[in-house]
This record gives sequence, structure tokens and C-alpha cells, in this order.
Amino acid sequence: MTKTSGNMTAIIGLLMIIGLPSIATAQSGGRETGRDESTTREAPGEFEFVRLAYSVNQYGRRGGWGGRQMWQTDYPDAEHHFLRGVGRLTRVEAAPRGRILTPSSDELFDYPWIYAVEVGYWHLGDRDAQNLREYLLRGGFLMVDDFHGTWEWAAFIASMERVFPDRPIVDIPEDDEAFHVIYDLDHRIQIPSRMYTYSGVTYEKDGYTPHWRGIYDDDGRLMVAINFNMDIGDAWEHADWPDYPENMTALAYRFGINYLVYAMTH
Amino acid sequence: MFEFLFNYSSEDYARSELVYASDWPIAVVVALVAISVAGVLVSLFRRRAYAGWLRLAAIGVLQLTMLALVVWVLLQPNLRTERLRAGENTVAFVVDNSASMAYGENGSRLSAAIGVLSTLSDDDNTSQLTLRHYEMSNSALPVLSFAETSPTGATTAIGPSVKSVLLEARVSPLAAVIVASDGADTAGGLSATDIAEIAAFGVPVHTIGVGRAVIAEDIEMTEVSLPAKVLPGSTVAARVSIRHDRQTPAQVKVYDGDDLLAVQDVALNTDAGVSTAWVDVELPTAGHRQLRFSVDAGDDDLEQRNNSRSTLVEVANQSYKVLYYEGEPRWEYKFLRRAMDQDDDIQLASLLRVSQNKFYRQGIESPQQLEAGFPSARDELFAYDALIIGSVEAASLEPAQIELIKEFVSERGGSLLMLAGPSGLGNGGWGQTAVADVLPVSLPPSTRDTFFRKRALAELTPQGGDLQMLRFAESDTDNLKRWSELPEVADYQVTGNLKPAAATLLTAQTDIGRIPLLISQPYGRGHAYVLASGGTWRWQMSMPVEDQSHEVFWRQLIRATVASAPEHVSLSASTDAGESNVHLRAEFRDEAFRPVDGIGVSAVATHADGSTWTVQLQPDTNEPGVYETEFVPDESGTWYFEAIAEREGEPVDVSRASIHFETGQAEHFNIRRNSTLLQQLSEATGGQYLEMNALDGLPDLLRYSSSGITEQEYRPIWDAPAVFLLLFMIKAGEWLLRRRWSTI
Repeated sequence: MTKTSGNMTAIIGLLMIIGLPSIATAQSGGRETGRDESTTREAPGEFEFVRLAYSVNQYGRRGGWGGRQMWQTDYPDAEHHFLRGVGRLTRVEAAPRGRILTPSSDELFDYPWIYAVEVGYWHLGDRDAQNLREYLLRGGFLMVDDFHGTWEWAAFIASMERVFPDRPIVDIPEDDEAFHVIYDLDHRIQIPSRMYTYSGVTYEKDGYTPHWRGIYDDDGRLMVAINFNMDIGDAWEHADWPDYPENMTALAYRFGINYLVYAMTH
Repeated sequence: MFEFLFNYSSEDYARSELVYASDWPIAVVVALVAISVAGVLVSLFRRRAYAGWLRLAAIGVLQLTMLALVVWVLLQPNLRTERLRAGENTVAFVVDNSASMAYGENGSRLSAAIGVLSTLSDDDNTSQLTLRHYEMSNSALPVLSFAETSPTGATTAIGPSVKSVLLEARVSPLAAVIVASDGADTAGGLSATDIAEIAAFGVPVHTIGVGRAVIAEDIEMTEVSLPAKVLPGSTVAARVSIRHDRQTPAQVKVYDGDDLLAVQDVALNTDAGVSTAWVDVELPTAGHRQLRFSVDAGDDDLEQRNNSRSTLVEVANQSYKVLYYEGEPRWEYKFLRRAMDQDDDIQLASLLRVSQNKFYRQGIESPQQLEAGFPSARDELFAYDALIIGSVEAASLEPAQIELIKEFVSERGGSLLMLAGPSGLGNGGWGQTAVADVLPVSLPPSTRDTFFRKRALAELTPQGGDLQMLRFAESDTDNLKRWSELPEVADYQVTGNLKPAAATLLTAQTDIGRIPLLISQPYGRGHAYVLASGGTWRWQMSMPVEDQSHEVFWRQLIRATVASAPEHVSLSASTDAGESNVHLRAEFRDEAFRPVDGIGVSAVATHADGSTWTVQLQPDTNEPGVYETEFVPDESGTWYFEAIAEREGEPVDVSRASIHFETGQAEHFNIRRNSTLLQQLSEATGGQYLEMNALDGLPDLLRYSSSGITEQEYRPIWDAPAVFLLLFMIKAGEWLLRRRWSTI
């Protein structure tokens, strides 16, 4: 090795040593260590939409849209439109943009409401599950959406049971406050993806019937709102599509707002 | 030496006035001085050839000084002194014969006091005075002598006793009052009114302090303080105060009958003073609990009877109502409700504005509750014990509703807690409303954004550390540690300047410095609190689910706010400092908390052994709705009281209270000599405080008293040896200088 190339190697190594921790910190969100940047920055609003960036299972590795990960489905327009609706229809002071966090992130605990899409393709490892369990038991709320059919349900359950192996998943009762806190959601229809505008079919795979299910805590509060066989996120994303039915868009907003305000009141 | 040089003592000079007996006109004196000065100046001028001006000036000063002294002597200076006229004055001897005067090392304090007064009465200076003798305990009793006096008084009331002596003895010219006492007043001490009334007599009161001020072998429980009424399942923090004159470990125990409820080790770390300790006592079951607090510091304690105090606590199943008015869905609202969900004694009804025109109600007892929004009627709002206002602008309410909030605190006695938020406190315009008067801070104007979504660390202040509502742990050290381990809150709000009565219980360390975080003040009959953050929810989300700090904080804070709110009907029973009687005070107000008139109020007093008495309460002319009376229990023990209000013979309301009453114990507490009180009494009356080992000046104090029938005595001082010595020294000095400078 010549002297010149040896110097270059040393410089590159030095840069890597300096750079890697910074990259890792940025990705993990950092721990609460006192007066770091997260403690001195001003939060943009009371509510920040957090999208869960999970690891994908074997089906997810083969999936994805246009090179995007499954958890990125509908991103960023879904939350962008939804947040504008929150600001216009409620008194919630919502940040204009969302955030993305992993299930194992410590920063999760600063955002008591999180959203996960395409959870038929998610995989929660032990740390993810433990973190999410702690998050929900402390008072956090999880809305999952856009997964369809039998095998996606099985994939969802496989990870969800790591979080709560001993809590049943039940249908949300008609009189649950989640369906009435702002809007009365007595008449519910299947909210499809935008593919409905082409196919005229509201279901995907064998997910013919929509189910609104949930996991409750020991005091009867809904912790996880499971929207199975529907695509609320797509309805938000395509709120500005003329072809997408208005009543489905409206219902999607109502669901989201109800879940949000429920989470902020229970 | 002083008396030799100046003919009389320094005390004589201090008590006398300098006067001149010469009747020369002032013009003659001035002429004499002028001639003398002129003569000296002429003489010096004529000798200017023999010395320089400085030397001549020195000689001139000496000559003028001597001439001035001669003129002074010619003016016949005298000391004019007021002294008692022999045979025409009275002096009152007052000896404290309360039970505390039985203490002493070599004989009792009482015997020492009587000995001193006997010695004084034999002095030549007092032989021409008429002496009156009084025994003093809870009142003053004239006696012929102290031969039969014994320390049997149950209490000591120095102020009223001295007043009665002055009133009784002034039938003849009273020159002075001599009080021999340990100063251990058990009737509330000397008030400013007492002092003013005693001083108005114009008679000097000389006090002699008897007994020891420091008693290292005695530990005393001076005070126990805890709420009179608590909810079942509460853990109350009782504050105990222990007086001690040595460093020693001690242990405080709390009993409910024979049941030991709590044990707390206490380190009495200073050599002298009063140490305060907090003892947590759990009270799980309802009912009246007589708690006995005792301090144990070893078997060598001088007086065991002052080591314990009893107090009654009513553990009552009572539900409190709190109204929470919030202007926007937010996390603080959610987690506050979750924290209070577990508290069955607090009914938290909330009215949340979820959208511009929609309110969401939670915790309501019926569909009609809060159906019309925030209460507009007095009885509707006053049915709550506390009110929480969150991030909501004042403009969301009518002016009449805002005025009602102020009355809720000032008249109803409820507690108001205002939370920070983007539309809360100053941002919400509350500083420009009637509610601003209630708050412990002067809120900034709404044009200035004072709310910041930045994290801050909460810190406990010393004032906050004294309060049960901010305790996470029993010991102060552990409590501070728990507070220091709490995560940051999510936001903070600048509250403005503190008002004079405000207490800062928590502060927040922010990026702009340390600011008040939890502030409180009493207002009218109620209290107001400001919590300058809407982000305590981070404590819940940032700590393990098992950690209950967030829940404990809110439950204790809310419980503190409701516990201080009076009921519309109340009865209190308290003893005076002398523990001789019980003061009953009943207050009757209607549902709108307006004083109830036109009722008769009686109280039935029942002793624990079943005996009963009925007393009538009289209306307080200064306070509508208040009825009072004094009740003298005939025995110690627990007394239960029931006040019944009647209108036209029909009972309309009932209120209950209880008290643990013990007679004859007051004198075993506070047994140390209280020199401060005795000095205060003397100084206010122109007298003097003396200690047992410094009584030599007492006869002179009597002889030269300014009260009574006095005569003026003139004593010349021109012939004092000091005058002649000074003349000689001046002249000799002049002569020596003139010889040295060869001017002679």
C-alpha cells in the first residue's frame, strides 16, 4: 500500500466513524437524554400523525408499490389530507405534517396516537412487540388499516399476538364511544381502495365483509382499532379524486377523526 | 470611680435631666462670655511677639476652655430626678403560680420567685412602698401574702392577668408591677392588643424570668397538623413539630387506640429549636379516628406528658364533584381523566369542546348534567367543589359566567385550577376578566403568545415539598429524588408576575430559564391554582406502566383542591390555646351558598361516655350565616357535636363535628422559660426584664419609677471632683506649654 492510498483509507475510516453514529441516531430518533434537540425544538402541534415504519414479513418483501415499502402505502397524501380535515372539522391542534417512527423507537411514547397500514405484511420482532405493548398499556392508541382477506389477517395476527398474547380481538360494539364520540357511525359501509373506481368492487382478495375490531385494556378502553377489509388510508389519499365516491371519503374522515378524538378523550 | 468623680452613679445620670439653677439673665451670660473671649484674644495679641500664631492659638483654646468651664460652674448645673414620694405609692408583686412553675432543679421555680420577691420587699427602698400581692395563672388573684401559694394553675394567661392587676391595683397610685414568671404562656401569648392595652396604663411592668430557657433533657411534641377530614383509603401526611435542646435520634409513633398505624424515625439534628417531620398515616376505614402522636427519645426525658398529642380525624365517605372545562381535545385531558378514573371519591365531569359547535361530555351523572353547556346558574356551578379550566379562551363564556367563576372561589369557597394551553391562561384572554383577580399570577395580555410546545423539567420547591399533595415518598430526600427522576413535561406557559399571596409549589426549568409551574393562593373562601403546563401527560407515557407518579400527582392535586372546599353546611369545633373551652362555629348556606337567615341554631354535645349537653349558638353580627358559641366541657375525652338549624320549629339542616379535648395538660407543654415574652411586656411598658442572677438594680428601678406619685429631686454637680480636676488640668497644661515655649 502506498502512502497516499493509506492516507485516503484512514480518512475514509475516520469519516465513517464520525458519520455512522449520526446516521444511527437519526434513524432511531434518539433516547431521551435531557436537553438534546428533541427537547429544545418546539413541537409543531398537539397532535402529530405518526406512521409506523415496520419490518415486513416474507410477503412484504415480495410486495411494495413502485419500490416503496408496504408501510409507505398512501404516504404522504393520506396523512396530509387527513390532517387538514382534522384541523377543519375539530378543535384539535394538528401539525401539518406527519412523522415516521419504527415500532421499537423510544420516541413512540411522545406520540400517543399512531397509524399502521398494510399490516398484513408487517412483522413485529420481540423488541417491537415489547415496545408496542408498553406503549399501548401506558395509554397509546394504534389504528391499523388496509389489510384484506384470510392470509393477511393471519399475518397480522401472528405479530399482534406477540404484542398481546392474552388479549382477545373483538368486534367493536355498536355503542362503543369510538363510534360516537364526534360522529355517530351507525351506518357503516366498506371503504375500498381507489381500485374501486376501476373495478366497481369494494373488496380485495377474500375480504368481502368489513370488520371493525379492537383490542381493549383492563378498563374497557379501546387501545387498538383494527379496520379489516377496508382501506381508510386510500380514501384519505384520494379525497381530492373526483372519481372516488364522496360518501366513502366522508366516512373515512369520520372514522379517523372519531378514532383520534376517542384516543384523546379515553 | 464614676461615682467618686461625678458625685452620683451613672444610673442616676441616666435617669436624670440636666438643669441649671442660676437665675442670671441670658444677656448677662452672653456678656460675660463675650468679655472673656475678648480678654483672651487681646492678651494673645499683645504676646504675639513671643510665639507663633499656632502656639498662641493652642494657648488661647486652653484659656477659653477654662473660662467656659468656669461659666458653666457659675450657672449652677443640677441633676433633676423624678423619684417616688415615700409612703404614697403602691407596687404590685405578681407571682406566676401555674403548674409549670413547679419545675425546677434545686427547688421549684415558684419558690425561687417567691424568694426573690420576699428579698425585694425587705429592701430599704421598698419599705416605704405599699405592696400588693397577686397570684397569676389564667387570671390574677389578690392575696395577702405568698405563704400559701402553690403551683396549681391549669393555664397561664399573662396578658389578661397583668391587665386585671393594673385595673385592680390602680385604686391607689401604682408605681410599678413586678412579675415573676417563667413566661410560659399557654393562652395564646401576648397579642398586639394586649400589649397596647397594658401600655396604656402608663405603669412600668418589670419582669423577672424564672426557670431555664434551655432544657436539654426534655423533648416535646409541640404541634400535630393534619386535615380534619379525609377520604377513606387516604394516606395523610401529618406534620409533627418537636421542640428539643439537644441532638438526638427520636421516633414518632401514631396510634389509633391500641393500633399502631405508623412509625417514623426522626433525626433531631440541631442543638436547639423545633424540628419538623412528616409522618404518613394510612386511614383505610371510615369513621372518627382519634390519633395519638407520640415522640420517643429515650427514658431520660424530663417530662413525658408533653411527648404526645391527640387529634381527631374524620374519615368520611364523601364524594366530591369536579367540573373540567376544556377547549380542545388534547393529551393532557385524556391522561388527566385516566388518572382520576381510579378515584372513586371524585366525580370528574368534563365538558370538552371537540369542534366549533360541539361539546363532548364525560363523567356526567345524568344526561341532563351540563346539557346546556357551562353552568350559568349559581346553584348549578356551586354544586361542584372544584373547577378546572383548560385551554379555552375566556370569550367562550358569557361575562356573567366568568363573574360566576370568581364568586365560585370567593363566596362558595371552591377551588379553581387553570391549566396552560394555546388558548389558556394569558393566551385565552383570562387576564382581562374578573377571573384575573382570583389567580395567583398577573397574566400577560392575550396579544402576547406565552405558550411554548417545548419540554421543561419540573422541580419541587421547598414550599411545595411541605405539602402532601406533592409527595411521592415519605421522606423529603426520597421525595426530591422522585421528582428529579420525572421526565420532562411536553410544554410550558409563561404566567406573568406572582401576586403577593402566591406560593410557588413547582418550578419548571425551561430553555428560557426557571419559571413558576404550579402556583397557588387563597382567595376569598377558596383557593386558586395555576398549572403552567398542559404536558404532564409525558410522565405517564415516558415512564413504565407500573409507575403511578402521574396518577398520584393528579389524584393528590385534585383531592387537595376539593378537600379545602367548604360544604354549604359546616360545623367546626376548636379549642383555644389554653384548652379551657371549645369554640363551636356553624355556618349555614343554601344550595347557592348564600347565607341562611331566619333560623335558630342549637348544638348537642355528646361525650364518648354518652352524656349530652345542649347549647344555643348565637348569630355572628359580622358574618351572615355564621353561628357561634363557647362550650366548656366538664371532662376530657372525645366530644361529638351536632348543630341543628331550625326554621319555625322544623329542622332544616344538620352538621356534625368532633374534637378530642384534654384539660390540664397545657402547662406540661412549653415548659422552657420564655424570656422573649417577658421582655416584650417590659419594653412595651417602660419596664425592664431581669434575670434571677442580675437583680441588683431592681430596687433602683422602683425608687425612680415614673409612674405613681413622684417628687423632683435637685442635686448639684458643679462641686464634683471631676470639675475641679478638669480645671486644674487645663491650667496646668497651659502653664507647661507657656514654659516650654518661653512665653512666660
